[in-house]
Amino acid sequence: MFFSSVRIMSTVSMEPLLHHPVRESVRYAPKSRTFKPSSWSCSTNHKLVFHGRSFCNFRSSNVHALRASTTTDTDLVETLESTDVFFKETFPLKRMETVEGKIFIRLDHGQNNGNWQLTVGCNLPGKWILHWGISRVKYVGSEWDQPPEEMRPRGSIPIKDYAIETPLKKSLSSEGDALHEVKIDLIPTSAIAAINFVLKDEETGSWYQHRGRDFKVPLADYLLDDGNVVAAKRSFGVWPGALGPLSNLLIKAEVSPANGSESSNESREAKKKSRSLEGFYEEQPIAKQVAFDNSVTVSVRKCPETAKNLLYVETDLPGDVFIHWGVCRDDTKTWEIPDAPHPPETVSFRDKALQTRLQPKERGDGCWGLFTIEEGLQGFLFVLKLNKGTWLKCMGNDFYIPLSRSSSLLAKSRQGLSESAQILEKKEEAKEEAKEEASLSAYTNGIINNIRSLVSDISSEKTRKNKSKEAQESILQEIEKLAAEAYSIFRSSIPTFLEEPVVDTEELKAPAKISSGTGTGFEILCQGFNWESHKSGRWYMELKERASELSSLGFTVIWLPPPTESISPEGYMPRDLYNLNSRYGNVDQLKEVVKTFHEVGIKTLGDAVLNHRCAHHQNQNGVWNIFGGHIKWDDRAVVADDPHFQGRGNKSSGDNFHAAPNIDHSQDFVRKDLREWLCWLRKEIGYDGWRLDFVRGFWGGYVKDYLEASAPLFAVGEYWDSLSYTYGEMDHNQDGHRQRIIDWINATNGTAAAFDVTTKGILHSALERCEYWRLSDQKGKPPGVVGWWPSRAVTFIENHDTGSTQGHWRFPGGKEMQGYAYILTHPGTPTVFFDHIFSHYRSEIAALISVRNRNEIHCRSTVQITKAERDVYAAIVGEKVAMKIGPGHYEPSGPQRWSLAAEGKDYKVWETS
Amino acid sequence: MEVSVICSSQAKIRKTELAYRELGCFDPKGVSKAFSAKSRVCFSPSTMWRKAGIRSTLKAVQSEAVRSEKVSGSSRMSKSRDGVRLFVGLPLDAVSDCNTVNHARAIAAGLKALKLLGVEGVELPVWWGIVEKEAMRKYEWSGYLALAKMVQDAGLKLHVSLCFHASKQPKIPLPEWVSRIGESDPNIFFTDRAGQHYKECLSLAVDDLPVLDGRTPIQVYHEFCESFKSSFSPFMGSTLTGISMGLGPDGELRYPSHHKLTKSNQIPGVGEFQCYDKNMLGILKQHAEATGNSLWGLGGPHDVPTYDQSPNSNNFFRDNGGSWDSPYGDFFLSWYSNQLISHGNRLLSLAASTFSESAATVCGKIPLMHSWYKTRSHPSELTAGYYNTTTRDGYEVVAEMFARNSCKMILPGMDLSDEHQSHESLSSPEFLLADIKKACRKHGVEVCGQNSSASMAPGGFEQIKKNLLGENIVDLFSYQRMGAYFFSPEHFPSFTGFVRSLNQPELHSDDLPEQEEEAAGSLNVSSEASVHMQAV
Repeated sequence: MFFSSVRIMSTVSMEPLLHHPVRESVRYAPKSRTFKPSSWSCSTNHKLVFHGRSFCNFRSSNVHALRASTTTDTDLVETLESTDVFFKETFPLKRMETVEGKIFIRLDHGQNNGNWQLTVGCNLPGKWILHWGISRVKYVGSEWDQPPEEMRPRGSIPIKDYAIETPLKKSLSSEGDALHEVKIDLIPTSAIAAINFVLKDEETGSWYQHRGRDFKVPLADYLLDDGNVVAAKRSFGVWPGALGPLSNLLIKAEVSPANGSESSNESREAKKKSRSLEGFYEEQPIAKQVAFDNSVTVSVRKCPETAKNLLYVETDLPGDVFIHWGVCRDDTKTWEIPDAPHPPETVSFRDKALQTRLQPKERGDGCWGLFTIEEGLQGFLFVLKLNKGTWLKCMGNDFYIPLSRSSSLLAKSRQGLSESAQILEKKEEAKEEAKEEASLSAYTNGIINNIRSLVSDISSEKTRKNKSKEAQESILQEIEKLAAEAYSIFRSSIPTFLEEPVVDTEELKAPAKISSGTGTGFEILCQGFNWESHKSGRWYMELKERASELSSLGFTVIWLPPPTESISPEGYMPRDLYNLNSRYGNVDQLKEVVKTFHEVGIKTLGDAVLNHRCAHHQNQNGVWNIFGGHIKWDDRAVVADDPHFQGRGNKSSGDNFHAAPNIDHSQDFVRKDLREWLCWLRKEIGYDGWRLDFVRGFWGGYVKDYLEASAPLFAVGEYWDSLSYTYGEMDHNQDGHRQRIIDWINATNGTAAAFDVTTKGILHSALERCEYWRLSDQKGKPPGVVGWWPSRAVTFIENHDTGSTQGHWRFPGGKEMQGYAYILTHPGTPTVFFDHIFSHYRSEIAALISVRNRNEIHCRSTVQITKAERDVYAAIVGEKVAMKIGPGHYEPSGPQRWSLAAEGKDYKVWETS
Repeated sequence: MEVSVICSSQAKIRKTELAYRELGCFDPKGVSKAFSAKSRVCFSPSTMWRKAGIRSTLKAVQSEAVRSEKVSGSSRMSKSRDGVRLFVGLPLDAVSDCNTVNHARAIAAGLKALKLLGVEGVELPVWWGIVEKEAMRKYEWSGYLALAKMVQDAGLKLHVSLCFHASKQPKIPLPEWVSRIGESDPNIFFTDRAGQHYKECLSLAVDDLPVLDGRTPIQVYHEFCESFKSSFSPFMGSTLTGISMGLGPDGELRYPSHHKLTKSNQIPGVGEFQCYDKNMLGILKQHAEATGNSLWGLGGPHDVPTYDQSPNSNNFFRDNGGSWDSPYGDFFLSWYSNQLISHGNRLLSLAASTFSESAATVCGKIPLMHSWYKTRSHPSELTAGYYNTTTRDGYEVVAEMFARNSCKMILPGMDLSDEHQSHESLSSPEFLLADIKKACRKHGVEVCGQNSSASMAPGGFEQIKKNLLGENIVDLFSYQRMGAYFFSPEHFPSFTGFVRSLNQPELHSDDLPEQEEEAAGSLNVSSEASVHMQAV
């Protein structure tokens, strides 16, 4: 069952909407009764203040980028026209900068009939989309429902049946600043308690929430009691998260140190909100990583009088730019410090390089430097440093400018550069200095960077005090985040497993020890169905015929489709849990197929849908929440915060699946019935374990309960949420994502494994974009769940949701075998998707499985990553198997004798012979 | 303490100022003091750079910086300018008994948060019962080393507390082999009048007796310290800046006189003397015979109340005419407290000599037995081993002992204020603290403050601030302790406010010397970071 990515995927189709020209918003305006001047004055009061120096950069560079390059050229022509320029090249520079802006929310009266109007806007560039829904008055929960048709602005798209996505339109503030906003007319008659929303930047795929939760604008007071603004104001306010008041407090503490512990929600409101009598206006700071394109141009000419080389460096980078430079005498590109004289503002940097501050141009849109280089030197090496400790390099290496006039160098200066990149890849040869800088710039461990940027922000500004406050705020937010993380972990009494120590003794014992979380450790799973398998009506029988084949391929476990009677043919909308006649076959066929698999030595996993259950009957309100069949429940078995099903149970302990009543697992009778059901399935059908559907929907502690009762030999949960993306690129560090999965496993007390969604996501990026370096985390371990808790990670590259005919998140086409080469050689428990087994990949998959089995790779095997570079990833697993994926070259080395065991397009696997 | 000086460019500026200051207020004592506190320079600038290369550059500059620092230190005796280095205790069970790091992710996040807050370092309890768990001289440091590495990576300092005691909550026992010995010979433990053994640490009477498989506890402690020193040598002096020696129950130099009271809302009683194990009684007997009062050496005082009773429920502690004020009382109490001080001296001199060449400061902790302070006899202090009454200063000799060993004194209870004590307990943490600090000042003993480890009392932060800012004797504060409560929304915001208010600068940031243009970029960055983490 798949939920979260549905939300995300469906937004993709909206992209064309975002290209609507500005005119579109004019057409849109009449509906919102044209912009009322007062509403503009409102936003004028809150003139879009961009915090921090970084934004200044953003603006200027955006505006000046093009201009700069033209002036650059003319400048150069002026300076160099009469001379003998033998080298000139412009290098693109890419840098990411955090741009800060705000989301603003305004509630005021519309123009004509005095209806209330909600405006949500944002002043950062991007393809902004408002993902929103409403809470109705009669529900107390915080769940989402779709607004009535007449409230939906044009261009809105319904998302399933609980939300709306509306693109923000570009407009200009009265100040002339670009902003994006959307206006929603509120219908007075509809009993809407609140509008909930999150903002999404389509460009980057990022979601902006309010302190980790939905934004929520309570409306009931406005609509029901039009005059009661004060009450409404009170009920608005900032939704305090667990640590909500912290950052205010800290800012306040700065102002008046003595008031350290005073709580200050009020002060924030006073500070941040200027409320007219008519409504409110609220701003939330947001930050976004924006990529900037700059360039650096280097030209070299011979000075006819002195026979020296004159090297002119020019860039349109804003702010202070430092150039670290040196010269080299030969092709090894070893940095040396040239003899004096050096340009002004040059200092020696650790006796290995010179650091020169580039001179600002008179027009203020960039800077330059002129270097005089002695004869007889081979090249000029440099890197650029911005004042935030950002190092800019040429494709990861030092810039290299050839100084000799030799025609070969001149002709292929470009190739020379990429060659130098190749050469310098050999880190031993690279200068220690350069290495250090590289690792420094790569070192993204929040702390230092934060402090550094704080510092440079502060030092580079005259108005130091104000600056430091801004910067401090961001640090405080970071602290707050870290504290919340620490708190949540400490609070759960179970110690977390950062890295599972791989103990030799455990390895030896592993085969004997079977636990539900890990099985024997040597499992290889086969997902025994796809999204279409129900169609034949006799899937069990078809599967039965393949049992011995699957066994001979080396599989040890098969995941069977959900067996219960279901509203949807695929089985994920179960109704009567004890009725095991499904579209896959009847209960006898199910027993038969399980028996057959057992005969060939394959264990069977039942797909248990515990999160939700479809009802048999309606209640007195006509809502489907009364269950019949063998387990007769009423609405007490349904969670209370699902607005569609009027449950009388407790609030959900997890996310809600909106299409069916979510079961309230906190009820003892529910748990008792589910325990019995699972035990019955074990005994009656002979299932050996479980694949647990949509476990995000309820607390992992309940899973522990079920697993302890049903004692499966293996259990794996589907805990699926989206990875983190910044600026459309998946973040290298997905620790947050895998930590959520680990947290769930922890909540089950390690009784269940979980699908390693993180690994799949990272493989997507690595393979699709040829960024194989992503396959090593900062600690040199696999970046997915498998890197942290391999024995509980069930790796996969595709399943019935992501692939098959649904294709919610399909693995990069044609690269599936690289994915399998990865998961079938790595620790964790690999899963192979049915569609892939019975495809042209079959023999390759079979070869990989046999390598795995032959070399006794198990879920806790060690991985030593030997290469993680742009175009190749290589690792040695358990000392007996080496593998590489990616187009780049790799051959295993070392004392062992490696022989090729399997290979295919862009992958190779070796074993020791 | 002054900051903003670790930077070559500034050092140049300071040189001119320096001359001026030398003229103005040169104070040899201040200079030496500032020297001894050289690590106070700022919030650990050098550790921000983990790359050895860069650090070496920093060092090159540092010599100069320190010079200017010492002068500024002496020139500004204004107490509030003295930054207090703040440490935060790591969870007691940060390393599990199978030597893995507990809550590693939480601690990692916590360390980052602390670093960002500008906290100087963390305090790490290192348990005898974990390191030397299985057999004598079989040390397992891996968990602690891993944690030290985490601390180092986070750019924080480390202060290690060597714990030769056991903990009840969380349960951290003494080493298994010690407990086994204790089972056959319970006389290695402190014993009260009723014959009950306190099994959380060894009795001070066995310090020099070969009770541990032929070795004396002092020898065992010594070997433990040596092993610690060699295992932690990579951290010594750089990351590891302080070592506190466990001196008794809960690491404190005292008798376990109050271990019976557990009910929180109860007024603490006077406690009981713990001199009834075979060896203590033996020493007492000898002592009594040597002083010609052999009858006094047969046991402890007969007219004392029990653990949770008030002073007046029996005769010994009565304000007027209590036996404490008699020659017998003086005989017993002097002996009882001298035993404790000699014990403390044995351990601290052991630690001081073991760690003399390492750059880490050695500390010992004493308790703050503040209940019944307002009576004449101070019964709680007496039973804990501090012969401090209205008529006798019992801390002078303790401070002198610390000074003799050049050890720093850890003083808990800095968060306690008189007004929040229950009236009936006649308690006065503030006065007692003042007494102890006075003794320390007199003997030049530096004090490291701690809060009492319970959850923060009302007004606790204000009290701590008062204690820290009011006295220049306290230059380091070790806040107890990281855990769920520490990071909880109820607590963490006020802690953050506390940290920031501690580091509030006197100077407006505009008044700080103008930064020269970035000369050696990264260097400047680090120094400025230190400025702002402290001075903003």
